[in-house]
Amino acid sequence: MEPIIKLKNVVKNYGDKKVLKGINLTIFPGQVIGYIGPNGAGKSTTVKILCGLISDYEGEVWVDGIDLKQDPLSVKRKIGYVPELAELYDVLTPSEFLGFMAELYEIPNEIAEERIRKMLAAFGLDGNMNQRMDTFSKGMRQKVLIVSGLLHNPDIIILDEPLSGLDANSVIIVKDLISKLAKDGKTIFYCSHMMDVVEKVSDRIVLINEGMVIADGSFEELQSQQGNQSLEKIFAHMTAKESLSDAADQMMHAFEN
Amino acid sequence: MNIINRFFVWVVMLPSNIYEKMGINVHQLRVVVKTKLLIDDRRPNTIHQTQQKKQKKPISFATLGSMIMSAFLGSFFLISFFVGHDMITRLTIYFSFFIFVLASTLIADFTSVLIDIRDNIVILPKPISDKTFVFARLLHILIHISKMVIPMVLPAIILLVYRYGIFKLIPFLLLTGLATLLTIFLINALYIFILRVTTPERFKAIISYFQIIFAITFYAGYQLVPRLINKAAMEQYDIRSNIWAWLAPPYWFAGAWELLTSFQFSLPLVICLLFSVFIPFLSIWVVIKFFAPSFNQKLSMISGSGSETSISAQPLKNEKDVPLKISYLSKISSFFTEKGAERMSFQQVWKMSSRSRDFKMKVYPSLGYLVVYLVIMFMNNNKISLADIKDQSGRGKIIFISLIYFSSLMLIMALNQMIFSEKYKAAWFYYTTPIAKPGRIISGAVKSMIAKFYLPLITVTAIVALVIVGPKILPNLLFGLFNQFLITCSIAFISVKEFPFSQSQNQVKSNFIRGMVSMFIPASIALLHYMIYSFMPVLMILCLLSGIASWLVMDAIKNKSWDDLNLSYQD
Repeated sequence: MEPIIKLKNVVKNYGDKKVLKGINLTIFPGQVIGYIGPNGAGKSTTVKILCGLISDYEGEVWVDGIDLKQDPLSVKRKIGYVPELAELYDVLTPSEFLGFMAELYEIPNEIAEERIRKMLAAFGLDGNMNQRMDTFSKGMRQKVLIVSGLLHNPDIIILDEPLSGLDANSVIIVKDLISKLAKDGKTIFYCSHMMDVVEKVSDRIVLINEGMVIADGSFEELQSQQGNQSLEKIFAHMTAKESLSDAADQMMHAFEN
Repeated sequence: MNIINRFFVWVVMLPSNIYEKMGINVHQLRVVVKTKLLIDDRRPNTIHQTQQKKQKKPISFATLGSMIMSAFLGSFFLISFFVGHDMITRLTIYFSFFIFVLASTLIADFTSVLIDIRDNIVILPKPISDKTFVFARLLHILIHISKMVIPMVLPAIILLVYRYGIFKLIPFLLLTGLATLLTIFLINALYIFILRVTTPERFKAIISYFQIIFAITFYAGYQLVPRLINKAAMEQYDIRSNIWAWLAPPYWFAGAWELLTSFQFSLPLVICLLFSVFIPFLSIWVVIKFFAPSFNQKLSMISGSGSETSISAQPLKNEKDVPLKISYLSKISSFFTEKGAERMSFQQVWKMSSRSRDFKMKVYPSLGYLVVYLVIMFMNNNKISLADIKDQSGRGKIIFISLIYFSSLMLIMALNQMIFSEKYKAAWFYYTTPIAKPGRIISGAVKSMIAKFYLPLITVTAIVALVIVGPKILPNLLFGLFNQFLITCSIAFISVKEFPFSQSQNQVKSNFIRGMVSMFIPASIALLHYMIYSFMPVLMILCLLSGIASWLVMDAIKNKSWDDLNLSYQD
């Protein structure tokens, strides 16, 4: 099988600071990749490179056999991106904003309109379609963003902390959606800090720290290497420099004066 | 989408075939431009921002509003057509107005229109080519500028056609276009300069200082220029007699107009024409060729992850000067306030008012207006002599009193603005911490404003007065000082019913009567002071009373309870 995403020795520097120190990844279609790592490890940078926000990186990125540097437009057509912060033009209404997105992907109008309506309705936003988003809650904005990432039926979906602000019911919908999309042959690139969710939704977990991949495999494989414990514990074991319970103890000692 | 935007989109999309040949995706181009215009239409512009918004309804015709505003500004420029006898002088002045005002409006808009950081996240991951996106941006800027320029020159167009006929209009339009290009270059140059000397993080703060300076200069210009130039001289004024005029681009445009309408091919006029055609294009070319690439990169850094790295580096650099500032603040705050909530509030308001861009944008221009006012006052009374001030007769009295009481306006301004913030939601901690007397918070804030905006001013006034007049001014000075405290405290007692930086600007219920009272109090006290100025015994007694009264009012503010204030968390 041909890999759908291939990163070969990807390096990215901000000035003197090395953010990515040579990332190598090969991802096959239908996989749900849980991409995890502590703050500042280079998660967001990897994602931004993949979806074309950062173009001055070193190394090679191939998506479905296309070199990202050679033909970024074809790559972008295959990727749906749900950004981390609820960044959108909030003076627009969901139907205006999503309409705009659809036009950028050049989806025919009739198809786009129906899709937008159906997708928003699935999230229970059909009543808010024509309200300006500046009054929306964080969760509502997040739902609009998720729709905007799926609208053009992409082969690869990059989700950066997609559950933030969502209520429990919507979390169930999104988790369910992720596994159904994967079954449909789509590749999901899932970035998150919520270890319990990553543990459950991903087929394969990639852990990066200080710009390098330090663990890569299914949850079971990680468990067999690191001992039979939760992903949270494995994560802490592999990335924390000092013992975390010491930190908590220090906090408690602060009360002693 | 209103008719104006639709018209502009239609116009810029006319050469679609050419765009397509250039390799631009016309469909995406149209969509991006349309959406950007729709967003602009719902965004409050600079004029909206500086006013206190009363209406709660969403903004939907911002375009129309700013167009009317710029037509209104443009009609002011017509003054220039009543100066001197020759068109070169008149048009030089006209183009000076035009370039200055256009630059000052655009400089503000550019930060919101050009540097919309959301573009990066929203549009860049979409399959749109760089060429299409850059071109869409260019068209958007073009439309944005046309919306400012067209209404702005409209009054002049009408006047020109009415006075000189339609044929002299065409060169004028061409030259306006060139002047606009030059203005864009000026702004770009300024941006590049700022980005060179500072970090992208401080960029917006610096741009807002420029806006403040522009606003003050603008106001000063309108107030002062007509007064400076006396009428007879104005009618005789001829810019050509002044060699320095050659340094001013408006002069070239005026000369070029003269050449194009009269066809006198004299050497100076030809030079003017050459300058006004080539310099704008040359400067734009320079910007695109040499500055633009690094410019865009730096602009993207304003939002980019670059900032993360520099944050960690910064505290080290400032470590030296922090203790000094803090110790001054802690000294001054322990002098004026009681320990606890009041002192906390004093320090917090002091820091917030120095750091919040929002606050500075609203208050500092009014400081500038105040200075302009004072200057005008002195100029109107050009009979004032130092002797007058020295022996405190007639005008000397008036000057002294207005100097003392004018600053009230500024303090009131600062007090009114103090309760607002963009980050008003951050005021949650006032409600979650166990504050028994919320009055302490307000008294601390009021004292902070007095210490920050009044003390430096009164110190300078006092020193100057003592040097010029001598110790005999002391009773009046003290009376003025106590009165000022009394005024500020009373107004705070009446009108400050919210925690500092806890209200959103949009949801203000502005109270006209409150505002009137706030103006009336200082005016009437100033009048009283004027009347008893020379009656020493009365002055002494009132001075004492005023001091006691302000202390009592401040105490009353301090003891305000939760019930006295309309405090509720704004969500």
